[in-house]
Amino acid sequence: MRALLALLLAAASLTACSGDEPFRILAGSEVADLEPLLKDSGIEVEFTYTGTLDGAEQVARGDAGDYDAIWFSSNRYLSLIDGAREKLSTQTKIMNSPVVLGLKPAKAAELGWDGTPVSWSDIATAASAGRFTFGMTNPASSNSGFSALVGVAAALSNAGEALDAKTIAAVTPRLKEFFSAQKLTSGSSGWLADAYTARPDVDGLVNYESVLLGMREKLTLVYPSDGVVSADYPLTLLASSSRKERYDELTSWLRTPETQRRIMTATHRRPAVPGVRLAPEFGTASLVELPFPNRRSAADELIGAYLNQVRVPARAVFVLDTSGSMEGDRIDGLRTALATLTGADTSAYGTFSRFRNREQVTLLPFSDHTKGQQDYRIPADRPEAVLGQIKSYAEGLSASGGTAIYDALRAAYEQPVDAQHYSSIVLMTDGENTDGSEYLDFQLYHQALPAERKAVRTFVVLFGDSDVEEMRQIATLTGGAVFDARDGSLAEAFKEIRGYQ
Amino acid sequence: MRRRLLGVALAVLLGGAVVAALVLGNQGSGVTVVRGVIGSEKKSFFDDPEVKAAFAKHGLQVEVDTAGSREIATSVDLGAYSFAFPSSAPAAEKIKKERGATRTFAPFFSPMAVATFEPIVTALTRAGVVDGTTFDIKRYLEMTAEGTRWDALPGSAYQARKRVLLTTTDIRTSNSAAMYLALTSYVANGDDVIQGADAKVAQRVAPLFLDQGYSESTSEAPFEDYLAMGMGKTPMIMIYEAQYAAHLFAGDGAVRPEMRLLYPSPTVLSKHTLVPFDQDANEVGRLLTEDPEFAALAARHGFRTANPGVFAGLAQGTPLTRDLVDVVEPPTYDHLEQLVAMIEERYL
Repeated sequence: MRALLALLLAAASLTACSGDEPFRILAGSEVADLEPLLKDSGIEVEFTYTGTLDGAEQVARGDAGDYDAIWFSSNRYLSLIDGAREKLSTQTKIMNSPVVLGLKPAKAAELGWDGTPVSWSDIATAASAGRFTFGMTNPASSNSGFSALVGVAAALSNAGEALDAKTIAAVTPRLKEFFSAQKLTSGSSGWLADAYTARPDVDGLVNYESVLLGMREKLTLVYPSDGVVSADYPLTLLASSSRKERYDELTSWLRTPETQRRIMTATHRRPAVPGVRLAPEFGTASLVELPFPNRRSAADELIGAYLNQVRVPARAVFVLDTSGSMEGDRIDGLRTALATLTGADTSAYGTFSRFRNREQVTLLPFSDHTKGQQDYRIPADRPEAVLGQIKSYAEGLSASGGTAIYDALRAAYEQPVDAQHYSSIVLMTDGENTDGSEYLDFQLYHQALPAERKAVRTFVVLFGDSDVEEMRQIATLTGGAVFDARDGSLAEAFKEIRGYQ
Repeated sequence: MRRRLLGVALAVLLGGAVVAALVLGNQGSGVTVVRGVIGSEKKSFFDDPEVKAAFAKHGLQVEVDTAGSREIATSVDLGAYSFAFPSSAPAAEKIKKERGATRTFAPFFSPMAVATFEPIVTALTRAGVVDGTTFDIKRYLEMTAEGTRWDALPGSAYQARKRVLLTTTDIRTSNSAAMYLALTSYVANGDDVIQGADAKVAQRVAPLFLDQGYSESTSEAPFEDYLAMGMGKTPMIMIYEAQYAAHLFAGDGAVRPEMRLLYPSPTVLSKHTLVPFDQDANEVGRLLTEDPEFAALAARHGFRTANPGVFAGLAQGTPLTRDLVDVVEPPTYDHLEQLVAMIEERYL
């Protein structure tokens, strides 16, 4: 008996030890707002954030073994990837949020959409007539954009069943009309909401109901009568995890009526369990859920059609540091990163990141002077030849000379812009400005730019020994964002930026 | 990475300690631990403290892991368990044959049912698919073959452009979808149980699954959407009667006044069948089947048992029907699998 007691004591102390190990979750940034709430669960949870598509492919490849669970806004795309289903164990839905349209109240009233039922077809008609503009995330990098695209396509296709290749081809012209009104894009829902605030010319957003309800400036929400696609936030145990009990504890805590009410109040998401009364902010509209594609080919076809045919094409200017300090691994990394965008990366995430049909790409390599400008127009079909040209040019890049960042950036802002393209600049540099004009000169220059060129955002990539402070200032000044490639690869940063272009 | 390895090492050590404790514990207190793998819809039954207490009276402690019924019959390593308890008789038959088990127990069962809402019942009654609480599968198949949408049904209060389709789970993973396939294939086959992969039958029933778009892999998730999110998302859904009954009997308010339960005609029974691999599991099976205390507890979880009076007593004053008519037998495990495989090909 004494031996047994000793064993049990040993077991108890070991339990305490392994209890210290946090429950590790690979998550989408959409659920980051739940982190503070989870502190009250009594369970130590450690989040690692990644993009939806990137995360999905990690799981499917079997590279998520360091995690116990995943938590994205939806598992629907993930479950279409070959080999992904077997990697998942139990899935538990935690909350719900439909993707809908939010408009400035005055605009909603002007369109007569603040009381009567409105369909996606009505919305598309008004969009093609130029009666309103909106922002939406990129369907290839963010779940809210993908859900919106599926919803709009399903509704406009007038088909009652899940989308397939034939219906997608048929609905493409209608989709083009709808998306002609898109004036703002983004790789993530959160950044989209921030960028929108600084753009008085954009009338509204297509985003999660929860994001729209959480915005400081009040919006009128339009719930399309022909249906929506919702995020259901399934907390999903990975089959490789041995911590099912901890998972069960966490999900039961998340699904108690008390926690569900707190989630609803704090994050504007609808409860997933019956019996929790909906707050009045959610309105009374009955939401029809539209069918979601159940074939990988249909989902990819839809994203491909959006990028190559439907969206307002991008005009992307890459300002690339090829000064002497880039010699060696760094210039190699830059060559690889550019090749990635020409289709060398064949994963879904990589494929969707490539330069798209109809896109205009300008490469502006620089050292103490700009080293010649390369302009490419990707045709509407058969993009391979031009992509090949970009790739071979990238492979011939070499490093030498000083670093004149602001002269080069200024050259990028001198490029013409037009309303038929969505213009943006990527600035990659591995060091401090050593030649030519200074940041303050650029600031003055930028202030004096005409409105349409001033609106072009600069996405900054930190690399090597970048001057972090000054780079942040450029991003803030131009309404762009900072991407850090100092510890990772340039290719990853470039792929992420593609969601914003 | 190092912390991770440490964690694994601890888990191994801990596992050893617990096994030792359990072995010693069994000797000390006379409690026998029996481990089984079950379909997830029975988890709440085995987790019920009263069920645990009832087993304890007989010196038993039953511990369960959950898995899909198809997985239990195919991929789960059954060597780690004393019994398997899938939710369909064909899956149990296959396990029995492969493991050389001598007998099975079928302590409780549940018919397939349709959970829906009053306005849907009204529209479908007018369309001739529903009569009282009977959901006519033949008429339903005719309607789906025409691609009818909700907004095209005369007098439909549910004005959605979606196709009229029952929500089900994913046919590739879930038993409840397989049960639905059993009854629709019976009708599509001219009121006869299918005898293998029949291309014509597959052609007729495959759209019932594929045209829904994405479906969930377990039966609980879509039923919860039905309860929590209502008609917009899930106008009608194929479920086990037990799922609905359990909420009614618990009186937890999840089943709201506008919700309705219909019985498909024909229907099939999901016969929860326990396959024992050792003597202790035999005792678990025997108790579940013969002991009235367990029958009463199972009925509270919505299941029907050998003695119809128990369920009928609880069902009095509810919309649950006492007598099931027009019940057909599911195909054999292999025949159903062959048909599923034919439908699975169409997902590519």
